[in-house]
Amino acid sequence: MPGAIAFEFPDLFFGGLWLTVQLSGLGLIGALVLGTAVALMRVSPIAPVRWVGAAYVEFFRNTPLVVQLFFLFLGLPLLGLRFASDTFDNIFRAAFVGMALYHGAYVAEVVRGGLLGVDRGLIEAARSLGLSYAQTLREVQLPQTFRAVIPPLGNIAIALVKNTSLASTIGVTDLLFAAEIVESRTFRAGEAFLTATLLYLALTIPLGLVVNGLERRLLVVR
Amino acid sequence: MRPDTWGMFADPAIWRFFGDGLVQTLALSVVSVVLSFPVGLAFALGRLSSRRWIRWPATAYVEAIRALPVLLLIVYFGIKGSSLFRPIFGADFELPRFWAGVLGLSLYTSAVLAEIIRAGILTLPRGQTEASRALGLSYPQTMRFVVLPQALRLMVPAMMGQLTTVIKDTSLVGTIGVFDLLRQGRTIYTQFFNPIEVLLIVATIYFVICFVLSQLSRRLELGSVTREAKIRMTELELRDQAA
Repeated sequence: MPGAIAFEFPDLFFGGLWLTVQLSGLGLIGALVLGTAVALMRVSPIAPVRWVGAAYVEFFRNTPLVVQLFFLFLGLPLLGLRFASDTFDNIFRAAFVGMALYHGAYVAEVVRGGLLGVDRGLIEAARSLGLSYAQTLREVQLPQTFRAVIPPLGNIAIALVKNTSLASTIGVTDLLFAAEIVESRTFRAGEAFLTATLLYLALTIPLGLVVNGLERRLLVVR
Repeated sequence: MRPDTWGMFADPAIWRFFGDGLVQTLALSVVSVVLSFPVGLAFALGRLSSRRWIRWPATAYVEAIRALPVLLLIVYFGIKGSSLFRPIFGADFELPRFWAGVLGLSLYTSAVLAEIIRAGILTLPRGQTEASRALGLSYPQTMRFVVLPQALRLMVPAMMGQLTTVIKDTSLVGTIGVFDLLRQGRTIYTQFFNPIEVLLIVATIYFVICFVLSQLSRRLELGSVTREAKIRMTELELRDQAA
């Protein structure tokens, strides 16, 4: 049966799957928080704040995630910055920070697009009714943005789940790492990688179906 | 930062070393994209076919491959690539590392391109196809002379965007022993123990290439595109570009 090897090495495969899920969940939360903050910077009325936001987005979108992970994992400790004294914790946290930073840049672009997509008339109406900039943002712009950005954010979430596999290159014992260890112990590459493939599909395919469903239900054509 | 660790970058030999890696990175990207395009086009047309026995396998291929991490595919071909081809090329066949990387990257990229091409075809108004069929063109003729020329133009920005993704993804082939830009950098910093400096330089090189390409793809607005079509294309790009 395909995937049976998972039950021969349950600690590796299911432990790896659990790390992949953890890294995806935490990374997504981090990316959403960071991305929304950067999106707000990018629509700020203060020019230097906008520039910092733009520089962040362009840098993290146009460099490979692995390079960023290597920097966080190898570079920062040399500067005296470690995420945790324990080696395993340090690697996992470096991977988490990497996921949040990289995907945060994509989230920022989506949220910014959503904010700019809100009808200018609504914003002007809110301002002339006496709402402050912050109030307009909170009460008018963000709720409208929310609906429009859900489907694209879902697509970023799928990409994030797949990209957690890159954490294996810095030593996080995720699902892909589990397949590699099992392969090196048993030389059963076909089975080990088929199992990892099925487990990844079990994560990303349902997520994809949810995103497609949301896309159809929330479709906003402006 | 220790100041002496920058001194070594005055040596042109270091830059030749980076240059060799950059050549590998660019060669991998170009070869993968060139190989993926016809495959992607075939699968896009397959997904749009009216015959179920073509449509279903094509859909399964595209959806399954797009749902997988590209690193998984690369590592798989890195480990298993040689034995996959031994029944064809004989028992001594060794798949060169470069081509194992190309296989992994192209498999993934072809699925993404198939999705981009399909979206481009679907966003064209149906009237185009109906009119050309009514004028007596066959289905292949309609595709060849009416639909594809317009759809491909619509897709140029998305495809340029995909090229930057492929360039970023080539950085993963170091894991299977291809000496690309990042891998050359890693060789340097394990020798000189200066990962910060080396990774900053490597990141800058990737950044310059990808930034220029992504700016170009934003500027390219070919043909008249409806707003709806544009939104659809950007959403597609997002899912596959972050990967």
